[in-house]
Amino acid sequence: MRPSPRLVAALAVLPLALAACGGGGSAGAPAAPPSISDASADNRPVKGGGTLNVALSADPDALDPSISTTLVGREVFANMCEKLYDIDAQANLVPQLATALPEISDDGKEVTIKLREGVKFNDGTAFDAEAVKKSLDRHRTWEKSARQADLAAVSKVTVADPTTVKLTLARAFTPLTAQLADRAGMIMSPKALDAGNDNFGASPVCVGPFKFASRTSGSQIVLEKAPDYYDAAKVKLDQLVYKIIVDPNVRAANLKSGDVQVGDNLATTTVKGVQSDPNLKVVSGGGLGYYGITINTGNATGSTEKPGTVNTALAKSPQLREAFELALDRDLINKTVYNGLHEVDCFPVPLNSKYRAADLRCPKRDLAKAKQLVQASGVPTPVPVTLTSPNDATNVRLAQVIQQMTKEAGFNVSVQSAEFVSTLEQGKSGKFDVLLNGWSGRVDPDGNLTNLITSRGSNNYSGMSDPGIDDPIKQAAAESDPAKRAELYAAAMKKAAEVRGVLYLYHNKYYLGMSKNVAGVQYFQDGLPRFVTAGFAA
Amino acid sequence: MAGLVLVVAFVLLALIGPLVTGDPAAQDYLATLAPPSGAHPLGTDDLGRDAFARIAHGAQVSLQAGVLSTLLAMVVGIPIGLVAGFYRRWLDPVVMRLVDVTLAFPFLVFAVGLAAIIGPSLKGVVFALGFSQLPAVIRITRGEVLAVREMDYVAAAIADGAGDGHLIFRYVLPNCLNPLIVQATVAIPGAIIGEATLSFLGLGVQPPTPSWGVMLTTAQQYLSDAPWLAVWPGLMIALATLGFNLLGDGLRDVLDPRSAR
Amino acid sequence: MLWFILRRCGSAVIVLFVASVLIFLGIRALPGDPATVMAGEEASPAVVEAIRHEFGLDKPLPAQYIDYVGQTLTGNLGRSTQDQLPVIDIIAERLPVTLELSLLAMLVAIVVGVGAGIAAAVRRGRLADYVATGFGLAGLSVPHFWLGLLGILLFAVTWRILPASGYVPFTQDPAQNLQRMILPALVLGTGFAAILMRQTRSAMLGALSADYVRTARSKGLSEAKVVGAHALRNSLTTVVTVLGLQLGALISGAVVTEQIFVIPGFGKLTVDAVLTRNYPVIQAVVLITVIGYVLVNLLVDIAYAFLNPRIRLSGGTRD
Repeated sequence: MRPSPRLVAALAVLPLALAACGGGGSAGAPAAPPSISDASADNRPVKGGGTLNVALSADPDALDPSISTTLVGREVFANMCEKLYDIDAQANLVPQLATALPEISDDGKEVTIKLREGVKFNDGTAFDAEAVKKSLDRHRTWEKSARQADLAAVSKVTVADPTTVKLTLARAFTPLTAQLADRAGMIMSPKALDAGNDNFGASPVCVGPFKFASRTSGSQIVLEKAPDYYDAAKVKLDQLVYKIIVDPNVRAANLKSGDVQVGDNLATTTVKGVQSDPNLKVVSGGGLGYYGITINTGNATGSTEKPGTVNTALAKSPQLREAFELALDRDLINKTVYNGLHEVDCFPVPLNSKYRAADLRCPKRDLAKAKQLVQASGVPTPVPVTLTSPNDATNVRLAQVIQQMTKEAGFNVSVQSAEFVSTLEQGKSGKFDVLLNGWSGRVDPDGNLTNLITSRGSNNYSGMSDPGIDDPIKQAAAESDPAKRAELYAAAMKKAAEVRGVLYLYHNKYYLGMSKNVAGVQYFQDGLPRFVTAGFAA
Repeated sequence: MAGLVLVVAFVLLALIGPLVTGDPAAQDYLATLAPPSGAHPLGTDDLGRDAFARIAHGAQVSLQAGVLSTLLAMVVGIPIGLVAGFYRRWLDPVVMRLVDVTLAFPFLVFAVGLAAIIGPSLKGVVFALGFSQLPAVIRITRGEVLAVREMDYVAAAIADGAGDGHLIFRYVLPNCLNPLIVQATVAIPGAIIGEATLSFLGLGVQPPTPSWGVMLTTAQQYLSDAPWLAVWPGLMIALATLGFNLLGDGLRDVLDPRSAR
Repeated sequence: MLWFILRRCGSAVIVLFVASVLIFLGIRALPGDPATVMAGEEASPAVVEAIRHEFGLDKPLPAQYIDYVGQTLTGNLGRSTQDQLPVIDIIAERLPVTLELSLLAMLVAIVVGVGAGIAAAVRRGRLADYVATGFGLAGLSVPHFWLGLLGILLFAVTWRILPASGYVPFTQDPAQNLQRMILPALVLGTGFAAILMRQTRSAMLGALSADYVRTARSKGLSEAKVVGAHALRNSLTTVVTVLGLQLGALISGAVVTEQIFVIPGFGKLTVDAVLTRNYPVIQAVVLITVIGYVLVNLLVDIAYAFLNPRIRLSGGTRD
């Protein structure tokens, strides 16, 4: 066979031509997406009816509040499983299934919660104190429950009367209300639990504006307007369809083509493109969580085990860890890797939190000092470092920037990318040197600290163990005065910043893409879009 | 001819390219996603790295993935095929059932599993791709053994008491050569695309090593902002595979008269 | 004949057994404990232990294998560790999707590939030949995923004539279903169309130069009749063989295509299951793939044996 040169030439330009057609080209950078408060001020009237298609960035795990551990799972729960408490646009705790914030006894060990009356679960069962007790006890004591730690302080739940429950605590625990504003505060229908406790997640029933209709594994979750909901008049949409679209570019493409009207968790690389589409808008939320570089300092055999000796250059030398941090330029990382769309910080507590002391400051990049520290450490250069990174495009990009920045200070970072699941496993078991990972964040600062940086915490991948960190965090959990808690947390975080088990890089913002004709969506700091009042603009 | 020219050009790019281009890992945050210019003839990527340097270094990765995986399949597969063909009573059924299992096993599941076990790397890619080519090599070799043993002059040699070793090197291997060379020219472009696919799924070489698949993955994220990023690796993959395919067609015409048109 | 079939069935059972052991050991060799994955980031070691116990992962390997085989034989494939849904239901949902996609892709491949192959052979050395041959080479040279991405960008984003991705069951809305399947089927079918085009072309060229065709021509039959009745029919056996051989590759290709177009098929299920260490699902999907492959091959072998008695005598493996 002898193809003509002309043919070869024609073939050669084919991909070129195709690619050129693909370039939509969006010149001119649009302004940064508006923040939460602007988004929730969308007061356009909404007409009744319709189906809202929402793209989810990952496949949720079991839709069982006791078991679920994913952010996307919480996104679905936010519209079908109400909690005793909730947060508002300013991240304040507000009652949801309770009628008021809890009454707490002076010693902090007796918590009384008053419940809404006349509420029904989505299967018609009455919502009462017995039901609350049943769910809380399941969260607390079921061996498979992931909520055990959240409610560890609670020693007993008692029904005072049909609309009042009392929690007896083993120790004063201020973050409890915040825990009850998350999955640990979700109340499940006792009838559904009786029908199949272990498989509740296959067809969950709660109190909520929408009720579970069906789930196609890995593909979609359908919720329908709940006729039994106590505030049903507020709910406009007939149906919510969550479509699982993992690839961020495909998610953006689906928004642009109108196949979905809402897309969660837009990749920072796709925000600009979605924003410049005349039919779409982007709102921002989140900021409670963080992302960072975890350095293994003492996790020899597992994060919940006794810390041991880790045989890496960074683990052995605090000086080298300091040099590593000083080699990083956080602002430039944010700009290069994330188009500047996250909030740069070096502490785990959100920037606008009322529990954040004013005197927390971040070090700037100081290459000269970093080099000097590397020299002083006496370790021959380049200092070898192995960086484990999840293998998605964004993390790999971050890993390469870190590689480059620290190279200039005398480190030789080799990147080892692995599936997310493997990195998780490596983090828990301590089989890593340096790891890229983050935390989705909790309203109460305790949720960003206790399990993550105190001794033998379940997510203390670094294996830090320092009374200067542990003690103030423990004291703060029992303290009810916000100002005093802020002080204690500041002390713990300053100590942690010296140990450098985690080099925090930024607080992650979430970007929600929406069709312009969708109104009434609430999108707060927890990054969970709430569709209770949402609908298509009239 | 066009095939040969393309393949030679591709090999030269892989061998000489990296010597004349700059550091493919050097980042320049002030010049990210730059369109083609004098300083960067093919533009820069999201971290300001020179696309030309990355294309040249990426050629090495593609070439290695293609050639090494095919070599691996040959080195492992030919002896197995020979043994199966010679010892038909005992080994052949076992080997052929194993080949069936291999063929039935979904390739991507195997690749994902392998990447999880030894970590995503060029080594993993080569193993996964080599493994997936194994059944073809075994079958071709075994088939040739069976065909050769039927030939009159070989039957005569066997009757004369020629040993298995003599048979293998004197008659069987020379006969296998042509179909295996043709198989290689089909397998190599397949492996180049395979490497790109695995890298696209995040199971390929480790950063900052550039590979065309990795470059395409990056480019995919910036398709609307910087379409030229996607052009070069896509074009190179297409050209390299095209070259090998054309070369394979040409070789087939010359070496394998049975499939001549 | 009966003996031959029995022997083939016997070896099919052996393949299945070996495959089941390999799958079983293979997924357990993967790093990443499924109980840890299932328990999630925040779980305490006690929770992980409870889950491990529930799924029998704390038993010794042979006991786990016996459990697995026993349950599988009684039709109990367990529940997905990801979302608690029964595995059998998940597969019943996903398998038809991939079958539809594969069939459509096959259709595309046959229509385009065979058509172009015939055109190229009949018009050998002329423009149609070059165009078809060029297409054949391009189809082989362009990666699936790349084609898929460009397709979405062009058809769904730039021109907005097709939906970007997603799936609507055929039984729910046939028009919507086809609208969403056409692009993935085109992408998946292109590579096979290219292979088919090349095979058809060379088979047709062989047939067109064969004696019986020359005879037919000399008898004054019209060119269309020569091509249609004689050459094409003889070339089709080649085509059918190629299609059979490509079945496995088609399923593999479906994995990537489904990933890009977000089609809830079998391929996507497979990759997701491996990535989340969803043991019950991995075991089931790989087993079903292997069974499917073995069955198809068994049928092909038997069909061949019927058609060609020599194969029966010579041991029955196709080479």
